[in-house]
Amino acid sequence: MTKTSRRDFLKLGTNFLLGLGGAFGLGGLVHFLSYEMDPAPPSQYDLGAAGDYPQGSRIVFLQIPAVLIHNDDGFMALSLVCTHLGCTVEHKDGEYECPCHGSKYDAAGRVARGPSTTPLKKLRVEVNDVGNVILHMEEI
Amino acid sequence: MTRKPSPNKDKERRLAARNARMFLFLLVGVLFVTLSIFLTVNVEASQSLPTGGTQTVVPSPTPTFDPIRLASPSVPQVPAQVDKGSLIFWGVCIACHGDRGQGLTNEWRLGAYKEDSNCWDSGCHGKNHPQHGFEMPKTLTFPPLGTASALGQFENAQQIYDYVVVMMPWWKPRSLTPERAWQVTAYILKMKGSLPEGLELNETNASAVPVHRHIAAAKNPNTFIFIFTGILALAMFGLLARDLRAREETVLPSPQIRRPNFFAHLHPPTIPAAQARWRYTLGAGGTAVFLSLILLVTGLLEMFYYLPDPEKAAISVETIVSFVPLGAFIRNLHYGSAQALVAVALIHLARVIFTGAYGAQRKFNFLLGLALLIFILLLDFTGYVLRWDEGIRWALTAGTNLLKSIPLVGNGIYIFVIGGREPGPATLLRFYSWHIYVLALAGGFFIVWHLFRVRRDGGIASAPTRENTNGISRADLLKREVLGMFIVSIVLIIMAVFIPAPIAPPIRGDTILAADSSAPWFFLWVQQLLKSGDPFWMGVVVPLAVITLFGVMPYFKDVEPNEFGSWFPRSGRIIQLVFTIIAVIILTLTLLSILNTP
Repeated sequence: MTKTSRRDFLKLGTNFLLGLGGAFGLGGLVHFLSYEMDPAPPSQYDLGAAGDYPQGSRIVFLQIPAVLIHNDDGFMALSLVCTHLGCTVEHKDGEYECPCHGSKYDAAGRVARGPSTTPLKKLRVEVNDVGNVILHMEEI
Repeated sequence: MTRKPSPNKDKERRLAARNARMFLFLLVGVLFVTLSIFLTVNVEASQSLPTGGTQTVVPSPTPTFDPIRLASPSVPQVPAQVDKGSLIFWGVCIACHGDRGQGLTNEWRLGAYKEDSNCWDSGCHGKNHPQHGFEMPKTLTFPPLGTASALGQFENAQQIYDYVVVMMPWWKPRSLTPERAWQVTAYILKMKGSLPEGLELNETNASAVPVHRHIAAAKNPNTFIFIFTGILALAMFGLLARDLRAREETVLPSPQIRRPNFFAHLHPPTIPAAQARWRYTLGAGGTAVFLSLILLVTGLLEMFYYLPDPEKAAISVETIVSFVPLGAFIRNLHYGSAQALVAVALIHLARVIFTGAYGAQRKFNFLLGLALLIFILLLDFTGYVLRWDEGIRWALTAGTNLLKSIPLVGNGIYIFVIGGREPGPATLLRFYSWHIYVLALAGGFFIVWHLFRVRRDGGIASAPTRENTNGISRADLLKREVLGMFIVSIVLIIMAVFIPAPIAPPIRGDTILAADSSAPWFFLWVQQLLKSGDPFWMGVVVPLAVITLFGVMPYFKDVEPNEFGSWFPRSGRIIQLVFTIIAVIILTLTLLSILNTP
């Protein structure tokens, strides 16, 4: 082994170790910052007794935000999160209008006016064995 | 030095090619390691994803009752807190709450008690109960420990504990010792699926453990840290060996192509070999700069999780310690570096005094250094208060009440510092702002100014009569500094692994827990002084007088310029003596304070 190659090896090895140390530090940093401090929002909501929502009712839950509709086909729910950029749409005369950029949806959640291009999310609703309405936050 | 152009160019090209190869190699390595760590993190995260929502575990009804459900739970040879809790639950709680926390369901009643299933009718729990029995009203609901019902009212483990220890068991409340109540609480959390693996619940961490969400306890990252340290140590030896060899044929780039950058303004190009020795500088100034950098980085990281809110501060600190990956390590590093910085700054001060380096044109920089010492102490105090737990209650009270003792302006200063007439939410926010936006920011400015002045005043103090013929090169100096940083890093890492930063239970309402009431170690002498007299004189005047005395001393007795750069110059004897006397007094007071503490 010549002198030069040994020195090169030393240099390469050192730089590699320094790089590895840096990568480890970076990995540790990513690891440290990966912790989720706030809990994920609930995946389902218990809206109480189904009898509280008579047929033909349309009740807005701003905290979720969603609207529970009881029509001839039973319960259905729409997410009130505008599909454009996530503002909460306002319920106006059976239509839904977004205060941020003016998107409009009709009573069934279909786009009536842009800029939004996708309809409001339909959420799964079920009535459980106790008779409570359970709203699942997953899209049908 | 005469340079032959062609071989040099050739060499440069070779060097450039090798550097390019090495860079690629490193890049791939870094990417690979980062990616693999990131993937591990994400896999872990997705596994322990909080489900949220209302998910009540409803036991499926079994047609026939399996008597094994009444058997005592098996616990390991060395039972953990939660195992002991399972035994207590089995012995005390199970009768009403069921073996799975389902409550006094018909299925449980009929299965477990058979002919005695209508326990409240007569006998043990009826109106005509025997002496050692008790009446159990039929109307009482025996809550299942599900989310929607009994546990729904609690947000964290501390609240469950508070309820259990006072209200349970139903027929004999307050009969559980705190220790046993913690054990039961741990077991309830485990049934709920919310107990972080391997976490021992106590009054310090319980507020940070949510009931309705599973959070993973931070895994013991010591393996990671040791590997990291090992790599650093190896790299350090590599650097040393490489530089020793490289020195034989150093090719210094010509001064024309190396433009000075800002770093070069603060960092000396060369220092005299005699003053470059560890035994002259003690490496204290450089170490202090390095520690400040570590404090800056770890402090920034802590800011990602810390909440400066009286209700949440201690809980967020506990979250960092128990649940954030590497959080305890980062916090311990911050704490350890802060302690070390006080010590190193004091060593640096002693070195400057005993080598006469405060003299001649350096008097102003000496003042800057003293200002930095005050910054460090204030940073330490404000940082300590940010824990906002039972441990800081008295330090905060006593420390701020000292301000009140100042005649005339004291009350005004107190209100300015505290943000009110007594410590409250504004106090914490103010201390947070002071710590980060005022003291750390201004401290950083003073560090740069201090370093700049060292160079401005002619570099490290050395006698002008001596020719600086044998100065060490910048590369050599850098090498020594890197070596110093590695040693400090490794010491800090070992400290961070073995010395945990203190944390106490969160301050809650009016309950005052018996907490440590001694000041931080560098203020013990002040605490001892305060025991012996008027707070204004002992707590304000004396410490300020000491600092002021240090500051003005150089203006009264200067050092002979030809005595610069060596230990114990003859012309600095008086100042050395004064410093020694004060140091001995402070040390004695500190020792007394330690000895007096039971």
